[in-house]
Amino acid sequence: MNDAVPRPLAPAVADVFAADHEIGADLAAVDWAATPLGPPDGWPQSLQTAVSILLSSRFSMWMAWGPELTFFCNAAYRRNTLGRKYPWALGRPASEVWAEIWDDIGPRIETVLTTGRATWDEALLLFLERSGYPEETYHTFSYSPLRDDDGALVGMLCVVSEETERVVGERRMTTLRDLGSDPSVIRTEEEMLAFAGRQLGRNLRDLPFTLTYLFQPDGSAALAAATGIPAGHPAAPATLPADAPDPVWPVAPPARGESRLVPLDGAPFTGLPAGHWPEPPHQALLVPLGRQGGSPYGFLVAALNRYRPLDDGYRGFVELTAAHVATGIASARSYRAQQRRAEELAELDRAKTAFFSNISHEFRTPLTLIMGPLEELRTRLDGADERVREELGVIHRNGLRLGKLVNTLLDFSRIEAGRMQARYEPVDLAAVTAELASVFRSAVERAGLAFEVDCPPLPEPVHIDRGMWEKVVLNLLSNALKFTFDGAVRVGLRAGDGQAIVTVADTGIGVPEHEMPRLFERFHRIENARSRSNEGSGIGLALVKEFVGLHGGTIGAESTLGEGTTFTIRLPFGTAHLPADALVPADTTATVSATADPFVQEVLRWLPSGAGSGEEPVPYAPGEPAPPGVAGDGRPAVPGTAARVLVADDNADMREYLTRLLRSAGHRVRAVTDGQAALEAARAEVPDLVVSDVMMPRLDGLRLVAALRADSRTVGTPVLLLSARAGQEASIEGLEAGADDYLVKPFSAAELLARVRANVELARLRNHHARWRTALVDSLQEAFFVCDEDGAVIEINSAFTEILGYGPEDLPYAPVHPWWPDRETQPEAHRRAAEGFALLLARPHGTYTIPVTHRDGHRLWVAAAFNRVEDPDTGRRVVVGTFRDVTADHYAVQRETALAALSLRLSRAESVADALAGVLAELRGLWQAKYALAAVFRPGSATPSVTATDAELRWESLSEERRRALAALRDLPLLTPRADRATGAGIALEHPDGTMVLAVDLGEQRPFTDQDQTLLALLAGHIGQGLHRVHQIDQQRETALALQRAILGPAQLPTGFAVRYEPATRPLKVGGDWYDTVELPDGRIGIVVGDCVGHGLRAATIMGQLRSACRALLLQDISPARTLMSLDRFAALLTGARCATVFCGVLDPASGHLRYCSAGHPPAIVAHPDGTTQLLDQGRSRPLAVRPGEQRHDAEYRVPARATVVLYTDGLVERRRQPLNAGIDRAVATVQSGRGAPIEELASDIMDRLTPPGGYDDDVALLLYRHPGPLELDFPAEATRLATVRAALRGWLDRCGLDPGTAQNVLVAAGEACANAIEHGHRDAPGGRIRLRAAATADDLHLTVRDSGRWKVPEPTTNTHRGRGLLLMRALMHEITITTDTAGTTVDMQARIAR
Amino acid sequence: MTTPLTLTTGRHPDGSLVLTAVGEIDMSNVDALTGALTEAVTRTGDEPLVVDLTAVEYLDSAGLAALYAHVERIRLVANPILAPVLTISGLAELTTVEGP
Repeated sequence: MNDAVPRPLAPAVADVFAADHEIGADLAAVDWAATPLGPPDGWPQSLQTAVSILLSSRFSMWMAWGPELTFFCNAAYRRNTLGRKYPWALGRPASEVWAEIWDDIGPRIETVLTTGRATWDEALLLFLERSGYPEETYHTFSYSPLRDDDGALVGMLCVVSEETERVVGERRMTTLRDLGSDPSVIRTEEEMLAFAGRQLGRNLRDLPFTLTYLFQPDGSAALAAATGIPAGHPAAPATLPADAPDPVWPVAPPARGESRLVPLDGAPFTGLPAGHWPEPPHQALLVPLGRQGGSPYGFLVAALNRYRPLDDGYRGFVELTAAHVATGIASARSYRAQQRRAEELAELDRAKTAFFSNISHEFRTPLTLIMGPLEELRTRLDGADERVREELGVIHRNGLRLGKLVNTLLDFSRIEAGRMQARYEPVDLAAVTAELASVFRSAVERAGLAFEVDCPPLPEPVHIDRGMWEKVVLNLLSNALKFTFDGAVRVGLRAGDGQAIVTVADTGIGVPEHEMPRLFERFHRIENARSRSNEGSGIGLALVKEFVGLHGGTIGAESTLGEGTTFTIRLPFGTAHLPADALVPADTTATVSATADPFVQEVLRWLPSGAGSGEEPVPYAPGEPAPPGVAGDGRPAVPGTAARVLVADDNADMREYLTRLLRSAGHRVRAVTDGQAALEAARAEVPDLVVSDVMMPRLDGLRLVAALRADSRTVGTPVLLLSARAGQEASIEGLEAGADDYLVKPFSAAELLARVRANVELARLRNHHARWRTALVDSLQEAFFVCDEDGAVIEINSAFTEILGYGPEDLPYAPVHPWWPDRETQPEAHRRAAEGFALLLARPHGTYTIPVTHRDGHRLWVAAAFNRVEDPDTGRRVVVGTFRDVTADHYAVQRETALAALSLRLSRAESVADALAGVLAELRGLWQAKYALAAVFRPGSATPSVTATDAELRWESLSEERRRALAALRDLPLLTPRADRATGAGIALEHPDGTMVLAVDLGEQRPFTDQDQTLLALLAGHIGQGLHRVHQIDQQRETALALQRAILGPAQLPTGFAVRYEPATRPLKVGGDWYDTVELPDGRIGIVVGDCVGHGLRAATIMGQLRSACRALLLQDISPARTLMSLDRFAALLTGARCATVFCGVLDPASGHLRYCSAGHPPAIVAHPDGTTQLLDQGRSRPLAVRPGEQRHDAEYRVPARATVVLYTDGLVERRRQPLNAGIDRAVATVQSGRGAPIEELASDIMDRLTPPGGYDDDVALLLYRHPGPLELDFPAEATRLATVRAALRGWLDRCGLDPGTAQNVLVAAGEACANAIEHGHRDAPGGRIRLRAAATADDLHLTVRDSGRWKVPEPTTNTHRGRGLLLMRALMHEITITTDTAGTTVDMQARIAR
Repeated sequence: MTTPLTLTTGRHPDGSLVLTAVGEIDMSNVDALTGALTEAVTRTGDEPLVVDLTAVEYLDSAGLAALYAHVERIRLVANPILAPVLTISGLAELTTVEGP
């Protein structure tokens, strides 16, 4: 009402329009006579009443009356809806007033006027032109019919509330929430933008179209994503140059971090898509994609809804959207950078190994081609002048040196690739070492140093690989000599600690202390050290260390500057530390090999007297000038006919004679003592001719011929058999066996030489083609093999041996080939190899990739190609194939796969423990390990905590050795993999609680190659990051949950209430939902349920602040509307509190009166006892802080007796791709069906039945109240108390809305139960107490009377009045149970309530 | 606090003796009822005693027991609110119950 003085009106007019003086005055000013209604004094009573009701209502209303539906409205409608159309609209036909929406509302009004039934529309979209442009608005309204005095339908009344803010706000919030709901932890920039695009594309109302531009290094901007606009539209150019004079979109302002509003008119903006609207947008907002501490990543172009003003809310929405996209880009880029770095490191490592391997091979071929002819040249020029021979010596020595270096590099690349083929044989280490040392004696003595070798015999043999051991000792000795100028070099050997200890000591210059840690590092050289030579690669000691390591031994060094250095090698006795398959029996015949020569040659060159001229133990000793008269046919042994001849004879005299004779003819001769030795020698290096005795031990001449013919490499080698047996049969037998010639002893020297010469020439002719082929095959980089029809491998090349470790000496290799993976331990790999082999036999040609096992046991992957051909010589069908080692490729793929699998595991994990379990399972599967374990060493804790794929595994159950190995891994630098055969492989990395060692136990002495180590390091890096991230999420969630629990709700709820809180299921979805009850001083109760935007710790913190503020405001005893308005102002100051939704109410528990107000919160549900339901949807307006300062209004409600009120947050009802109403309907149905259940039970039931499959996506707060709350009385067991108790119960029953009869029945039954308790329970034990509890549901009452005494249930037949009391109780209530236990007696009573 | 109950004995216009109870009757004050009943019954002689419970809002088994003791000698006048109690206890069958 207004208290201003009314303007004078005509008497009748004054009556009609008196209810509102302002609108009334304007209505009075209308020329009513010109309307079909005529002047007001002639209006029917019904119209006058309607107008008067309209004007006095504070609800927004308008009405239409009469044939033209003449328009009236009240002040609220004018303010909320009519806008500029006032007062023009008054008295005009409604169809004219609302011409722009008449298509929508006209039919509705028509329905009302024809049927007399009211309409109801909720949140109907209407485009109103009240602000000078068509505006997107939402109204909830009903049209009710109006009748005239005769009851005829003459008009309609519209009650309307505008919901534009709520609808638009909810829509924007949905988009923001969807943007933030990306389930994966990390993804690429493209995926992230695609995800964001899908979310933005779902809101074409607020964002008709969007463009995401990212700045390029040159300052231009490139289009990275677009929604709502087709590719190639002129308004969406792919790039925007940095400095174009008139770009489509301005690049400079967003680059500076500024937003820009761009009008969309003119050339590029014609034909723009309209989004969800009929007309295209005419403005777009450019918002920078901000980067923390840097220039923006790019900018977002958001086309704006032309039907909404660009207010703070709209602008804030676009900015939040851009912030989401920017955050996504930031995390995607950071992830990509880390990923790329790890890949580069792995690639670098792999490339290095491949380079070493390749370059070493590449050196060997030319070196061989230098050294071979050089030897020829030295032999032929033996008689040339001194200078020529000296120069040849220089070339020779340097060739040797180069060869030694190349061999060293090759050794390294073999070790790196895990292909070092060691053969450990038991040796007398003292003898071997002393012999090796002796090679150096002359050099050391020539250098003027004392050479002391003290190698007493050891108690047992030591297993060594001779080749490696030679290199160990020779390297150490040459090192000692290089840096020692006075004094001595000492070699010592002793046994100790179950080990052989070898020392090489010198009195040289010593090593500076700071250099000691890097002494064994590869390519590390001590600069400026005085030495005998400046040459050296810095690789010798590193190689020594690797070799000693392969022997299961250790090497250390002690040094004092200026006094000398001592290297100490410890090698274990026995074989336990060595792989079983690399053990071989002792070879007693072995002597110092050719390896020593390059070392000695090199050392001698350092010495003053310099030019070394050591003997050369080459396999084929060169021939010598023939003594006159011996070269039988008188022809000189000219170059070209000189051949490599292998002589096999068991008679030493004969052997020497043949050797001498053949050498004299210029041939190079190697002599062996039997056929077996001849076969081995021939396979190792194919001779030009074999001259063999027939009768020999082990393998006779005929079988030697057969064996040589069976081997493709020697099939063409001529054999000349010598035999004491004369006769035709013998020679035929020999020739049948495949011998080329046959000579019977005794024979003349000339005859032998002639036969030799003829055979060599013949063989050279015959073998020219074969040798060419062999050379070709051997030069292949790829492995080459020939299989016979049965699949037996009958020929291979050197690359084959290089890759698989199987040499030509054991040919043929029958299937199953020895390199097939073991059927028992690696069934899957075996199956694949078998499949490849089947293909090889079945098809004329093909390719396959299979796993194979190298001779030393390590796993390889090879890709093979094969063809079936016919052997031109024999006519047999054979299979010719090549293969190459694709292990690296295979592991690269495996690495990618493993990384991807691991990322998935990590992103899905909900806790660190969960992540770790997943990671271990992944590692175990990857390496097919016996088990994988993680030991976390916490600072200050003696025992690490162990997690393993084998759940039984504990730290205590590990072997002592294993525990030591794990502890040692911990002390290594982080992310440095380490493997050994005994304990498997492991790596240390950071764990949130300390240092974690990850280990895989391969079992069965399987090797862990450098590929595996690289992979392990890569994965470990990834795991470390992942665990850290999961841990952070974990911690945030824990903190947020703790915070939420601490600030959620009061510890003690008022009676009648039940509450629930459920965090969302996915990680870090703790949210900002809350509930609260506040007991006000006057007995009323404040009720709050709210929901802050977002998730996580931040939302929970904001929630806590809002909750406290709301609580404080309610305690000041102000109304809910004012509370929320104050909260608006508070929330506006609080970052992140904007757009929170809150339901706030004040309940009088005595009367059920509820005053409430809602800031954009979903409506409360009320279920009446009779099963009807309703939503408390009055008093509703915008979310918090959307328009601070604007009015909010309370709504009032009286909660009926035994009705249930349910408040909740949207997590309970909201489901993806379903309208909110569907969820609310579901909740309503659940509350309705559970209205007869106790309130706690109902609360649990709601949470259970509304849980979506897979758990809640969002957190949920739930608050229930049933009126009235339960009555709880606790009083002394005295008869005088009964009247008071009854009074209280009577009042409560009244609040329950019971009819007087039922109430009286309950009252008597309860009274009897109390009287029983007093009379029987406590007659003998005064001072006891009685507790009475009464609670109501929709359709029954539940009373409990409990005392602390014990009484028997009296027989109803005994006519005492107690017996009668029980009879009364049973008769008056529907159900009674009496239970007595040690603590007392309880009477439970239930009464059904008639509806 | 004892349950409020006032008991008055008086004569009806027709001369019969009437015991009027006002208030509530339970175990805490049933002794007063018993006393008043005994005294009134001795005074009434052969005529039945009219016990007027119209203003009794609550009557439990203790009160019923007191009434039962004199069931042959009394006539009850009671408010319908007491009807279920009187019916269930059987008192309504043994004595005359009239409405007020």
